[in-house]
Amino acid sequence: MNRLKLPPWLVLLLPAIIILSAVVLIPLVLSLYSSFTSYRLTRPDSIFNWVGFFNYEKALTDVKFWAAFGRTVLLLTVALNLEMLFGLGLALMVSKVTQGQRLLRTMMMFPMMFSPILVGFQFKFIFNDNVGLVNNALQSLGITDQAIPWLVDGQLAMFSIIFAEIWTATSVFGILILAGLYAIPRDPLEAAKVDGCTAWQSFRYVTLPFLMPFIYIAMAIRSLDVARAYDIVQIMTNGGPARRTELLWTLIGRTGYVDARMGYANAMGYISIFLAIFFTIYFFKKLTQSRKELGMGA
Amino acid sequence: MKTLLSGASRAVLATASLTAAISAFGTAQAGEFDGVTIEAKLIGGQQYEALYARIPEWEAATGAKVNIISKKNHFELDKEFKSDIAAGTTDWCVGSNHSSFASQYPTLYTDLTGLVDKGVVAEFVQANIKAATFDGKLVMLPRAQFDVSALYYQKDLYDDAEKAKAFEAKFGYPLAVPETWEQVKDQATFFADPPNFYGTQYAGKDEAIVGRYYEMVVAEGGKLFNDDFSPAFDSEEGKRALQWFVDLYNAKAVPAGTTNYLWDDLGNGFASGTIALNLDWPGWAGFFNDPSSSKVAGNVGVAPAPKGSAGVRTGWSGFHGFSVTEDCANKEAAASLVEFLTNEDSQKLESAAGPLPTRTAVWDYISEQAKDDPYRREVLAAFKETAATAFAVPPTPLWIEATNLIYPELQAAILGDKSVDDALADASEAVDDLMQEEGVY
Amino acid sequence: MASNLNHRMRRYTLKGLHFFGLFSAMMVLCVPGLWIVLNSFRPTVEIMAKPPVWIPNELNLDHYRAMFSGIGEGGVPVLTYFANSLVISVTSTVIAILIGMAGGYAFARYKFNFKGGMFVGLMVTRAVPGVALSLPLFILFARIGIIDTHFGLILAYVALNIPFTIWLIDGFFRQVPPELAEAAEIDGCTRWQAFWRVEFPVARAGIASAGIFAFLTSWNEYALASQLTRSTTSKTMPVGLLDFTSEFTLNWGGMCALAVLMIIPALILTFLVQKHLIAGLTFGGVKG
Repeated sequence: MNRLKLPPWLVLLLPAIIILSAVVLIPLVLSLYSSFTSYRLTRPDSIFNWVGFFNYEKALTDVKFWAAFGRTVLLLTVALNLEMLFGLGLALMVSKVTQGQRLLRTMMMFPMMFSPILVGFQFKFIFNDNVGLVNNALQSLGITDQAIPWLVDGQLAMFSIIFAEIWTATSVFGILILAGLYAIPRDPLEAAKVDGCTAWQSFRYVTLPFLMPFIYIAMAIRSLDVARAYDIVQIMTNGGPARRTELLWTLIGRTGYVDARMGYANAMGYISIFLAIFFTIYFFKKLTQSRKELGMGA
Repeated sequence: MKTLLSGASRAVLATASLTAAISAFGTAQAGEFDGVTIEAKLIGGQQYEALYARIPEWEAATGAKVNIISKKNHFELDKEFKSDIAAGTTDWCVGSNHSSFASQYPTLYTDLTGLVDKGVVAEFVQANIKAATFDGKLVMLPRAQFDVSALYYQKDLYDDAEKAKAFEAKFGYPLAVPETWEQVKDQATFFADPPNFYGTQYAGKDEAIVGRYYEMVVAEGGKLFNDDFSPAFDSEEGKRALQWFVDLYNAKAVPAGTTNYLWDDLGNGFASGTIALNLDWPGWAGFFNDPSSSKVAGNVGVAPAPKGSAGVRTGWSGFHGFSVTEDCANKEAAASLVEFLTNEDSQKLESAAGPLPTRTAVWDYISEQAKDDPYRREVLAAFKETAATAFAVPPTPLWIEATNLIYPELQAAILGDKSVDDALADASEAVDDLMQEEGVY
Repeated sequence: MASNLNHRMRRYTLKGLHFFGLFSAMMVLCVPGLWIVLNSFRPTVEIMAKPPVWIPNELNLDHYRAMFSGIGEGGVPVLTYFANSLVISVTSTVIAILIGMAGGYAFARYKFNFKGGMFVGLMVTRAVPGVALSLPLFILFARIGIIDTHFGLILAYVALNIPFTIWLIDGFFRQVPPELAEAAEIDGCTRWQAFWRVEFPVARAGIASAGIFAFLTSWNEYALASQLTRSTTSKTMPVGLLDFTSEFTLNWGGMCALAVLMIIPALILTFLVQKHLIAGLTFGGVKG
């Protein structure tokens, strides 16, 4: 018997590699190819119409594309940072509670139970300017006598989307950072107390460095996942009005499916994949680094 | 045993329901399609599904079976059809279709002209048949889901003597249900009391606002596209039409969020009692007058769509229908199903719940039925009047794509990011680029 | 004495602030969700009312009744969607966990070339936006003929969940000193037995937390499901939500009722396994 013997690690990784190749890699190759064609969904033959870098040129010289690109980066940066801050605050407050933690933790994770598409509808109605919950509340409380156009105004529309995104995702940060808080060894904190550190100092110099890996993990998970925001944005504003909330994903989705220009959509998709990969790798680097600083790295 | 059974069922059908079958199914004959299975992709949603309960009747009559392999809402279905064309999985047979979207699938559906009897086609409203014909191909038979918009309004606004006096003093003509869009603008501004009450509202995004703009351009005497599909809306008429939307927005006569509204927001808005005048679809008539869903129930009036300055009524219209795919293995059976789903009985069933028919005889039938219901009579009269001069979207496969280029510019003008002139010039240029890139001219 | 009082005042203030902060945070997190639950019991005319109806005049089960009734009378095949969702989410979670365990074990226990690169490579597959993936995936699945099947969606979700499970479980196995398993092997266990008796129990919490994340992702996923499912044979609940919309209308109350049915199982599950979840995240993610 001369059987091919694979190393055990490869055998163990094989199922993962096979499935990911089948479901992610092959489709990606397919869409990479189509990004060099003038492929239109409604004219299947057009997939053989090679146009070289035409689609990429078109995207890279298009002001609308770059505006959407910038807005996406802005959304990612603002949302991820705020989610991190709120998650941190939330985790700190929950960890200080002595009774009913179990219930509080479940409440904290409540938004994670909501499908992104549901979140989209939910906030579309909550932020409706005429019969929405927020404006009704503000008007009933006498805070304003205006109908605030949450989903239309240049700044507020982005705010509303970021709010919805933060609402769904803060839980992920909260729960990860909470896990980190539970794992903090008591000794350094006590030592800090003995040395006369203020609460702020012991937080800043003991707790926070210890939490950093957890924060980067959450960042990495979220940056893997943010494209989920597509469902939310698509329902809430679909990139409008007047392209004020246009993100890469809404632009790509519309170009690909509604306009049926898959070739062009895939070219833009590839540029956005690089953006996602950049964010992911960036946070992984940060994670490894902070692990090393804590002496936990492998 | 099997043959015996099918033979028996055939016999039963032949004797028991011979006359009924022949009268109801026209050309279809009992047992004609024994053993055939028709795969269908149908539009889902409450308004559309009551009709599908009739399918077993067709199955029993023809011996064929219908297998519904997809049921989704209209926009999801559109995405699915495009994906199907892309993947080449188009050997299912019957699909729901829409007149505004049909031109996008030039290769998907077959020409029904040879498959459906000429006499049957003649029984439909001919304007609808025309809108279902692309490049000489009749791609679908319309069902009783014809859509054109008429003006819903709150009746009591016109009963108030003081309001009437104040209005006349300000505008110089008596307050009455508006017949022109100019009057709608005056009255909407007059009634508006933001943030509690608005004069009117309009759909503000996607194809919806382009459709509204399109009918307004036509009502102003202009055209959206020239005959070669080059853009024609960057014109005096086009500017006047857009200015109407801009003026209402600036006067705060429409809700501030209107540029993010789609049909459901508009319907819910009018039902909440905060909108005076509302150009909307026939499907809402029942909803608006039902106390469990609407606060304006009992206070709803319906008038034909107003006219623009050219004396033309707005009347952007569309309808749902059924098509047969080019790759269908048994087109005769599929066409028979399509015919059945759009026949007189089917249309009577559907239009009994509110939607408008596309067969001449059924229009007469429902008018007769509504004799004793004043609200329903008013609704039908208004829509019938509007339907008489209704028009479909420009028949180009690039229609939807063009709307995606136009609507952000319309929004920009409404929100004040651009002037009307700039917005239309930009939109026109973008559409022109698209048409040239696609080799339309 | 005075400083003592001062001190106590400070503590009370802090406590008050803490309570207030926690309360408002929980309000923000829960109110939008509870609003959905409330809407599912209210007639449409009250949900969209203006002036708003703050104290419901009427709560009823109409939306639920309609949802379970026949097609055409407001009915939606909820139970079928629920069953589809359950089968697809549970199966894909279990498979993702098994594959994740194998993969995590490989990363934790073996040394090989390009390990770091491979790891990041696996992670990056998750970063591909669904919009860019859905069409080629659809074409591929359509060619193999697994559109609108449980299998197709399960396959997609397994792929979606593998990167994160590998990552979390990898960290966990690193917690177990290799000597432990080696000792067991010396005691006469096979490698396989040693794994199940020694290493697996330690990693259980990590598996639970990977499991809940995987389950929630599959349970709530929409973009791929809307592309890969078509009829009641495989449509899941998030896709089913769209049954309440049609070209012109949207039945928000009905949608809320279905949403409640989606949320409850997820909530119960989370409540039950959250202890493991916390422990799992602690070790799995970081300490590796």
